Amino acid sequence: MCMWCERYGEGYERWYLNPANYARRLYKIRKEEIEAAGAESNPQAAGGMLGVGRDFLEASDRGDLETVQRLRKAAHDFSWTIHFGQVVTLEEVHQVLEFMYPIGLMTCACRRSMRGLPDGENFTCIGMGPGMYKWERWPDTYRGGLSFLTPEEAKETIDTLNRRGLVHCLYTFGTPYLGGLCNCDYPDCGGLRTVLDMDVRVVWKGHYIAEVDTELCNGCALCPKRCQFKALTFSSSALKAYIDPMKCFGCGLCRNVCKADAIKLVDRATLPTVANVW
Amino acid sequence: MLPTINVNDDKCPDPLACRKCLLVCPTRVLGLGTNVSPKKYRETEPSHFIVRGVRFQACTVCMKCVEICPNGAIQVTLDRGVAA
Repeated sequence: MCMWCERYGEGYERWYLNPANYARRLYKIRKEEIEAAGAESNPQAAGGMLGVGRDFLEASDRGDLETVQRLRKAAHDFSWTIHFGQVVTLEEVHQVLEFMYPIGLMTCACRRSMRGLPDGENFTCIGMGPGMYKWERWPDTYRGGLSFLTPEEAKETIDTLNRRGLVHCLYTFGTPYLGGLCNCDYPDCGGLRTVLDMDVRVVWKGHYIAEVDTELCNGCALCPKRCQFKALTFSSSALKAYIDPMKCFGCGLCRNVCKADAIKLVDRATLPTVANVW
Repeated sequence: MLPTINVNDDKCPDPLACRKCLLVCPTRVLGLGTNVSPKKYRETEPSHFIVRGVRFQACTVCMKCVEICPNGAIQVTLDRGVAA
């Protein structure tokens, strides 16, 4: 159980399975908080840096660990209050799509910022809840428009994105209000870039860890390219998949291509040394 | 040592349509953003889109973005303004 489940789970197994965290009451709070924090006045926000700037990179470059830690903490405080994500499995996404309404398919701000991806090729982001109703008022935030999906259509869309190799992350917009279901990949997701390149945790690991059953692994090597977190490699000497549990985010994408059924997700909480590695 | 990346916005009128530098960068160092906040009921004008260096730690100073820009809008330098 992560810190967010403890704070906002309210009896549900996970905080993001608690429908109250998607509710309009929280959305109203969110508008005030974001405006108070001045998030919308920052033109660089579209760069996906989420509070980490040149000063952080320079401190890191010159080995000034004290400054790096200070800036990292400030970035955590900001991100965890306003906007951060947590990796979830395909099954968990399906669960969320059962109780969320409305569900809207929209364009991805990260890929627009990273590659200038045209709207027509960029419908990989899902927005959920009352925030979706403002899409016509904010055409720039919702560039390319918005398609409302039924739960079944949304599940099919998510399944397709999963087959493409995209990781599902639930995002807050004023924590704990959850409104975004991002489908991410390295290097084009600003969140994944920030957490993997800079160890600034704007994306939290999920509640699972993938484990390889080396008896069952047939060495087909389809899974390593599914890992967006540099946690899964292929051992050329053992001819088996190898997963680093310290780096695994528990998304389950590797498991979904394993024809030998050799990869299982285990609950992070059952592994004492990684139980609190988020 | 981190490189410095300067973009002359006057020479970069519509980066969202052009996006050559964004696509050529091997490590997605550059970011496309806007220099104004989103406005109600209308899209941001193309001229308000800007390209900036963002992920400097991943820049190898390969100069591909400098070479591909049709308007010569991008400068990449290393070590206090000495041209790389």
